[in-house]
Amino acid sequence: MSDEENVPETQMENVSDGAGLEEEDDDDMEQITAQKVLEILETAWINEMCAPEILPSQVDMLELMVSQVAHMEEQMRDLDKNDFRAVVHGMELERVRYIMASYLRCRLQKIETFTQHILNQEAARDPDEKRLSPEETKFAQDFAGHVDEYFHKVATQYMPNQQRGEAELRIVTPNLMSHVFLKANVAVPAVIVGVDDEEVDMAAGSQHIIPYQLVADLIQNNQAQLI
Amino acid sequence: MSRSNKLFGDKAFELLKELERSSQTIPAFDDDGVRQVLEEIKAIFEENVAQASTYNTSGDRSLWPLLNFRHAALQRNKRCLLAYLYERCRRIKALRWEFGPIIPADIKQTLCEPEVQFFNSYSKSLAAYMCSAGYSQGAGQGLDLTNNLRPPKSLYIEVRCMEDYGKFELDDGEVIHLKKNSQHYLPRAQVESLVRQGILQHIA
Amino acid sequence: MDPAIIEFIGEKVMISIIPNFSNEPLHMIYGSVGPFRAGFPVFVPLWMATHLRKQQKCRIVPPEWMDMDILEEIKEEEKRSKFFTKMPCEHYMVVAQLVMSTAPDDVPRCEELRTVIKDIFDIRESKLRTSIDAFIKGEGTYAKLDNLTLLEIHSVRPILPYSLDHIARYQRMATASQRDTSMLSNSMMGSSSVPNSNSLFSQ
Repeated sequence: MSDEENVPETQMENVSDGAGLEEEDDDDMEQITAQKVLEILETAWINEMCAPEILPSQVDMLELMVSQVAHMEEQMRDLDKNDFRAVVHGMELERVRYIMASYLRCRLQKIETFTQHILNQEAARDPDEKRLSPEETKFAQDFAGHVDEYFHKVATQYMPNQQRGEAELRIVTPNLMSHVFLKANVAVPAVIVGVDDEEVDMAAGSQHIIPYQLVADLIQNNQAQLI
Repeated sequence: MSRSNKLFGDKAFELLKELERSSQTIPAFDDDGVRQVLEEIKAIFEENVAQASTYNTSGDRSLWPLLNFRHAALQRNKRCLLAYLYERCRRIKALRWEFGPIIPADIKQTLCEPEVQFFNSYSKSLAAYMCSAGYSQGAGQGLDLTNNLRPPKSLYIEVRCMEDYGKFELDDGEVIHLKKNSQHYLPRAQVESLVRQGILQHIA
Repeated sequence: MDPAIIEFIGEKVMISIIPNFSNEPLHMIYGSVGPFRAGFPVFVPLWMATHLRKQQKCRIVPPEWMDMDILEEIKEEEKRSKFFTKMPCEHYMVVAQLVMSTAPDDVPRCEELRTVIKDIFDIRESKLRTSIDAFIKGEGTYAKLDNLTLLEIHSVRPILPYSLDHIARYQRMATASQRDTSMLSNSMMGSSSVPNSNSLFSQ
């Protein structure tokens, strides 16, 4: 499946800027195959579904894949819609679209649940550490405004003594210590697995249940993935 | 001090329980209940303010537990009321995903004005998000987040039409007539929203 | 995670089919498949195999492990072993279920296979329940889950992570209240370690 010579159609155009690709160290920086992009998106999607907090956005990968899907649709236009090739390609595009849509929906859901918490965290992050895409940030800000407005109109404006601390108390935060299922992609030595600093060496391919916060960094640098 | 034999917070808790019990998508906004809870909050607060000043001047420590008790009652009322609103928010958002940008008339009746505004603002923000991200207006079919809700199983599905809907144009320009009880074999992606709205029923 | 999603992920597994048509390779986003030559086996993703089978464009070649002798052996091994044995396929339940429901005619001794696979799954599930029980009673917060398949992991979700989350929450509450007997203490209520999705309700 990695024989790139045979799959010219699935070869991506040059990636315009390398942003977001730095971590793919064993991959050609200029050329990234559609297959690789899909793999990255799939992993990001599953991680996002399983992680309690919002993870860094894969907006670059999404853009690449959206244009790849459009390109495939263009090519399929000439095929009879009953041609088995059209049907099979169509099915694959449906699968890809589902992954992308489900991924973005999952993020929106977290943004809606933890709105203020996420906005506060984003505000404290350096520009290259931001986890939301600009569009998601805009959505989060708008959404926070809508909820506040609704609460204000119906209730909070009539509540006496709204101390400044009250809004703070209402901030919903994810439970980072919630347990997740994890699979190590590579061997990871000396992972702390308990509050008492107990350590475990994770073998490549091994699976574990563990509080999220203890392995959050492994997920971000792709040494492990959630399942 | 206790002018009624009802306990503090009963009404607020009732609000939440009613919402939880209701089998409707979203029950009518309980205007009266919300107002009563707000009044109770205000009454408790005023009583406490009055007694707090007595406490400050007289230093009568026997008032302290009572002040604390009322404060807790006040916080509980706020909490229940906001939880009630929060849960309604959640259901109103779900309407957008289920029915699109227009609230069905029978459901709209159950919302209060600020809720309708919330729905409209939410709907607009969501649409703006999907557009600006280029996912719904890109080339080809693009990506509509309110579609592709379930993992795809097949491109075409067998559906039965539940009401006289009229003409429906497919992406390739083909026009089909959706008449009550007629059966069709259609691209799943394009009819998903009609299925969700109950106009078409997915059979086998 | 929705069971439909588990199936969706399992449908990526490559499986052998014997097409009754010929065609050039298809350049899919996920990689190339084919060429297809009538009468010759070719590997395709499971979702494609079930589709082509429904269209009567191919026969499905059941994976090697879908064999009575091999599966009986696995079943005995699973009974003997205290731990979970390694399954021949990470998505054995999804693959078996989809292949046998789409193409029962392509699978020799289909009914017997169904039974033995179900037996294996049941043995593993009961082992899983026993070990979870011991794990929770032992007040652990971490465990190794080697050789469990995605579907099996899913079968204990959400109960396992949720119960652990709750136990951890009570432990943190207990520790915090030892430190400060006043349950109204703001420092604890505001702490980010208090589990939350309903922190609106836990002020």
